[in-house]
Amino acid sequence: MKKEITVAVMGQPNVGKSTLFNILTGRNVHVANWPGVTVERHEGWRNYKDHKLHFVDLPGTYGLSASTLEEVIARTYLLSGEPDVVLVLIDSTIPERTMYLALEVLELFPKTIIVLTKSDLAHTHGIHINPHVIERKLGVPVVMVSAATGQGIDELLETIIQVSKGLMGRKVPLKIDYGELEPFIQSVEEIVSKTSLARDFPIRWTAIRLLEGDIDLESRLKKRREEEALRKVAEIREELRNMLKQRPEEVFAQKRFNFLMDIIRESVARIDKAKMGVHERFDRIIMHPVTGPIISFLILLILFTIVFTINTGFPFNILLDTMGFSDAASIVEEYSLAGLMDKAISLLGEYLAYTLQGSPEWLVDLIVDGIIGGVGAVLVFLPLIFLIALVLAMLEDSGLAPRIAVSLNYLLNKIGLSGHAVFPMTLSLGCNVPAVMATRATPNYRERIRLILTIPFIPCQARLIVILAFASALRGIGSIALVLLSYIGAFLVFAFISKLLVAYDRRKGLYEEPELLLEIPPLHKPLPKVVWWLTWDAVKHFLKKAGTIIFLVTILAWTMLYYTPSLEPAVEPGDSIGAGIAKILAPLLYPLGLSYNQAWMIAYALIIGFLAKEAVVSTLAILAGTSSASEAIKVIGLNDPQIAGLTMFSVLYVPCLATLAVIYSETRNLKLTLIAIAIMVSVAYLVSLLTYSIVTLFS
Amino acid sequence: MPPIPLDQLPPGMKARVVNVFAPGRWNHRLLQMGVVPGGILEVVINNGRGPIVIRVMGATLSLGRGIARRILVEPLK
Repeated sequence: MKKEITVAVMGQPNVGKSTLFNILTGRNVHVANWPGVTVERHEGWRNYKDHKLHFVDLPGTYGLSASTLEEVIARTYLLSGEPDVVLVLIDSTIPERTMYLALEVLELFPKTIIVLTKSDLAHTHGIHINPHVIERKLGVPVVMVSAATGQGIDELLETIIQVSKGLMGRKVPLKIDYGELEPFIQSVEEIVSKTSLARDFPIRWTAIRLLEGDIDLESRLKKRREEEALRKVAEIREELRNMLKQRPEEVFAQKRFNFLMDIIRESVARIDKAKMGVHERFDRIIMHPVTGPIISFLILLILFTIVFTINTGFPFNILLDTMGFSDAASIVEEYSLAGLMDKAISLLGEYLAYTLQGSPEWLVDLIVDGIIGGVGAVLVFLPLIFLIALVLAMLEDSGLAPRIAVSLNYLLNKIGLSGHAVFPMTLSLGCNVPAVMATRATPNYRERIRLILTIPFIPCQARLIVILAFASALRGIGSIALVLLSYIGAFLVFAFISKLLVAYDRRKGLYEEPELLLEIPPLHKPLPKVVWWLTWDAVKHFLKKAGTIIFLVTILAWTMLYYTPSLEPAVEPGDSIGAGIAKILAPLLYPLGLSYNQAWMIAYALIIGFLAKEAVVSTLAILAGTSSASEAIKVIGLNDPQIAGLTMFSVLYVPCLATLAVIYSETRNLKLTLIAIAIMVSVAYLVSLLTYSIVTLFS
Repeated sequence: MPPIPLDQLPPGMKARVVNVFAPGRWNHRLLQMGVVPGGILEVVINNGRGPIVIRVMGATLSLGRGIARRILVEPLK
């Protein structure tokens, strides 16, 4: 029977926590949510000697105040009684700044181990740290590790066991001498000991936090009707403020940094290497108001062009075709990843059709058209998802991502957003679902809501598939133009609606200037294994969430087309349930010059697209009885302006079901989710009509 | 020298933080990152518009001008 030890892993952002966590758990990780919130909780297990180690990854936090949800989650967990041992990570290349969290943790939880990460990099940066001095001064074990080389891991595991048994480390929390603040702390301690907080929290810690101003603890007192205590604490805090002529939390922070610097002075030696050079020059260019945005756009453009080319051959297949090398163009398409996946899937379909000969017709159809069609619709995107995830992981791990955010901050301010919007926006190009979740990093609530409402306008991969399908029905340059128009149009709509929402917030007096406060980690070559982990996590995420929905939706789409309202196999697609629904909505598309038959088919595909955008493509093919969507478009007989208008509509009209689900779960606001739909549908309709009219004028 | 807002500090200049007024929701975050009265910071990038990049407690941060304007510093040297 293995003894289980629960180890909490903490650290400030960018110290290498996820990397260490992945190494410690061997990627044997389970992802859930922290109770009651949408913040992810990662936990993993590892066997070591005769112990089973249970690692829980806490969100990266700069401290343990109550100003962010992540901090409250972290400190609540520390006090929950679950963790036996806590690891606090300090970045060896930035020991001064990253030790701050360690002090706050030590004031709360004694059985803590300090882990100095990136110890291999410390050397190259000319930094030498003496861990024994830190051990002596703080009374806790200090272990130096390097994620890149794997050095120190065994020692760390051994130390965890020792600390859990009480053979090493502190028995009581660290007590920092706050000098002239001590009498005030004592006064508050007296008050706190008579409240319910004394049950759940260490008294000294609580007193210090209340003097610093802690909305979490304050609200707990309010909820438990202990306003009297709250009032007395507020009085003492006011008295302290008057004596210091400063905010108390500033003085507490100063004292902690003084304490910390004492330790640093004795334990850290710096040989100032002039390795600035190249990096500083690049930083100056990428964060310059003029060259910055240009470089950022170029980087993003190049990366995504490479991704698209490897995946679908676009835009080179079009270019080759236009130049008259249609054979070469076809080869590029065929041997692109999507092309190869397509071939593999149709082969599978043929094989199954052959083996299933003799079985009932509906079963064969369900399996070949429905299920294989469904599976195919998902698998075709796998390479694209993988590549985009890879690119984003590299941007993230190399340190380029925050620099790009800084360079675009100024432009984003003009539409009421800040640099915090960059990451969600780039994620959006892959899939809206993680993009909406990533908006959490935006501290300004209204800005975050505006971003959630407008992010779905940015075309995700699924819509790219639809755009490409429509584009391939156009000849030559027209198809490239359509793709460009779709993206540029979508971003213009994104910007325009953002500005409208800003105007709305201004009218209601809710507008606050967007602000940026972002740490810029050093640029470094991304570690292949970290990039791989991030990419693989994204792919798994896609397969789980999107995969099941797309799969089920395609089956549903197939069923709605295969059966009539009386559940008989439909002779003509026009007799089916799906067609019935679409025919009711068909007249809405008449302004685009569509005939009745064209309109209901398109409407049907668009209805299915609401459930999963990619399915628009396969649905059109099924409806027209062709093997590809572009053929379907030709068969249905759409002219160029109609193709342009419908493409714009598909891109803008509504976030897919999965995205809506996430919008709802992130905002917990049904009204807002419905507003999102309303805005998008109306904008899409107007823009598509506009596009149709303009393109008609030009043809 | 009298204290001036951080956003007016040229690149390469070191300064001591005097006061942070109206930090709002950034209050604790700025403190945790070392932007405390008495703390030393160095301006790395300041182009007159767009975010400012500073080095404080060994780490590099970028701050929007709105926040930078509200940090009063005393230039050193």
